[in-house]
Amino acid sequence: MSESSVTKPAPVRRKLSAGPLSTGDKLFFGTASIAANFAFVLVATILIFLLIQALPALSSQGLPFIFGTEWNNAKDPIVMQIGPMIWGSLLIGALGVVFATPLAVSLAYLIVFMLPDRSSKAAASLVDLLAALPSVILGLWGLLVFTPVAAQWSSILNSNLGWIPLFQVSTVDNGFLGSPFIAGWIVAIMIVPIITSITREVFSQLDRDLINGALALGGSRLSTFRRVIFPTSSGAVVGGVLLGLGRALGETVAIFYVLQLSFDFNWGQILEPKGGAVASMILSKFGEASQAEVSGLIAAGLVLFILTLCINFVASVIVNRAQPWRKD
Amino acid sequence: MSFAPRPSVQPWARVNKSRRYQIFLASVLPLTVTALIMVFSGLDQNLALVGVFLPLQLVAASLVGHLAFGRRGVGDSLLIVLVVFLSTFVLVLLVSVLVSLASQGAKAFSWTFLSQNNIYVSNTTSLDYGGVGHAMIGTLMIVGLTTVVTVPLGLAMAVYLTQSTSRTKGLVRTLTQAISGLPSVVAGLFIMSLALTLGWERSGLLGSMALLPLMLPTVARVAEEALRLVPVDLRYAALALGAPNYRAFFQVVLPAAKSGLVTAILLGVARIIGETAPLLLTVPINNGTSLNIFSGNMMTLPAYIYGYLASVFETSQNRAWGGALVLMILVGLLFGATRLLSRPKSLKSKPIKQKASK
Repeated sequence: MSESSVTKPAPVRRKLSAGPLSTGDKLFFGTASIAANFAFVLVATILIFLLIQALPALSSQGLPFIFGTEWNNAKDPIVMQIGPMIWGSLLIGALGVVFATPLAVSLAYLIVFMLPDRSSKAAASLVDLLAALPSVILGLWGLLVFTPVAAQWSSILNSNLGWIPLFQVSTVDNGFLGSPFIAGWIVAIMIVPIITSITREVFSQLDRDLINGALALGGSRLSTFRRVIFPTSSGAVVGGVLLGLGRALGETVAIFYVLQLSFDFNWGQILEPKGGAVASMILSKFGEASQAEVSGLIAAGLVLFILTLCINFVASVIVNRAQPWRKD
Repeated sequence: MSFAPRPSVQPWARVNKSRRYQIFLASVLPLTVTALIMVFSGLDQNLALVGVFLPLQLVAASLVGHLAFGRRGVGDSLLIVLVVFLSTFVLVLLVSVLVSLASQGAKAFSWTFLSQNNIYVSNTTSLDYGGVGHAMIGTLMIVGLTTVVTVPLGLAMAVYLTQSTSRTKGLVRTLTQAISGLPSVVAGLFIMSLALTLGWERSGLLGSMALLPLMLPTVARVAEEALRLVPVDLRYAALALGAPNYRAFFQVVLPAAKSGLVTAILLGVARIIGETAPLLLTVPINNGTSLNIFSGNMMTLPAYIYGYLASVFETSQNRAWGGALVLMILVGLLFGATRLLSRPKSLKSKPIKQKASK
């Protein structure tokens, strides 16, 4: 019996294909894939045109463009170096993330695990509303309402914890205005909704039995959070934090008026009115820029673009991996 | 949604009278003590909130927790107090933004402010003259043009991501997410270098183009979510009845996902309506009204706010606040519309609920 089945020739493998057959379908999927490929075209076009215009500046300045600390359009070969701006962007982004992460995680916890259904939806709407605030409005509020309050916080930090290098200032005369600390807070307000929405989604997809099991074993909310909820969702939180960092690096108008730009490295005295941000620098110099300077500003934009693209790419990969239910 | 104690029974039913007093005391005492200390020692309110109130509240809550549930109650209370404290902080920030917008913006807000433009207005001109009419027209035209171009593109991308069986879907999705993090100033610089390379004049059209890469990812992603919520069986049923893919999409999937797709459009518009940096780089500002998007100067609401923002004159600051209020009302209208749309069928919240009850 088994002999006969062996001697039978194996059936020819059928070719299964499910491609579009009719003209209408070909048109339908063709349009869709052209649109999808527009994403590649867009990124490529952005890179190409930024490169074309940035090339004169990049070739004349060389590597010091990224590390140097001087921007002087009065010198004859014009000097354009944005080292402190890049570092300042990273510093403000880091501060924003440090301020925003605890707020966002606790908001997500409140929405998913603590509030009853209806008020949890309302809270989620409020967070979305925060995300919808235009950055120029936050800038206005930041300059006229928030800055005095944040300066007050700065002075408290400085007078009580001034022995930590982080909170030292050279002089208190300038009233703690224009510091990376304040800009960090503004940026934090912008990225709280980003981190919250991703954390919230992961929290709501956690296995309830696991959490209830931990509670049944005598765990408190705190220990359940530390031992069960956080380890299983930390990956997505990291992804959300990176997405927020990408947003923070690109923030322009909101911190333009609250930050004192300086082409001098500020390595970590966050209360000093001496900061940098690539995007704000571009905006501040754009008005009266000469042709050579415009090229330098576009080069700065190119650096910013590559930086945020890398961060966002890593963040998307992490978030996608941490949300397997989104795969199809 | 909470998991302990079960909310299905009356939450207060198992709490006896003395515990109710304890909870009441634990919620009132720290605040009172802090207020008293502040009044009598003149302590700074920020410092008092973090240095006195928070520790007191933590201790009080842990004590009550300990009395009620022993050691595990302490952990419960600590987490609850921290979470509520931090979340309230965010709420206070949001409310502060909205309240200052409403109170400061109301000073400038009037029919004149909405309808007039900015010609013959100086820094000290009284608020009875001049307004944001020209800026509103400019914003609506520029954003409208972007929307007309972006929406079909974004929807087609969403179709590609949900309906096709192509292999590059994951890559396209990741790339779209990466574009969504494109700094707005870079979008402006991109169009500016495009214009410099090709020798175009700066105009409202360039502003529209600069907003496209910012709106596209939002529309594509939200539309994808909306299409994904349509049960795939519906589409399979249509296909099994002999419908070609495009008819299955237009006659079955599209109507089912309609409100979600409109939400995608509205969220996309809300995303770009307040964008400032790209418009500052690409659209030359204008004090008068311009209806020509293809050439010449044009004013937009964000540029208007930006222009008056840092002024030291009070009327100018009032104009900035007034412009911000108008912009926020527009954003609020869009936002409210998305909430209304997602309510009746509650498409958005369905999958989460299904998984949660599993």
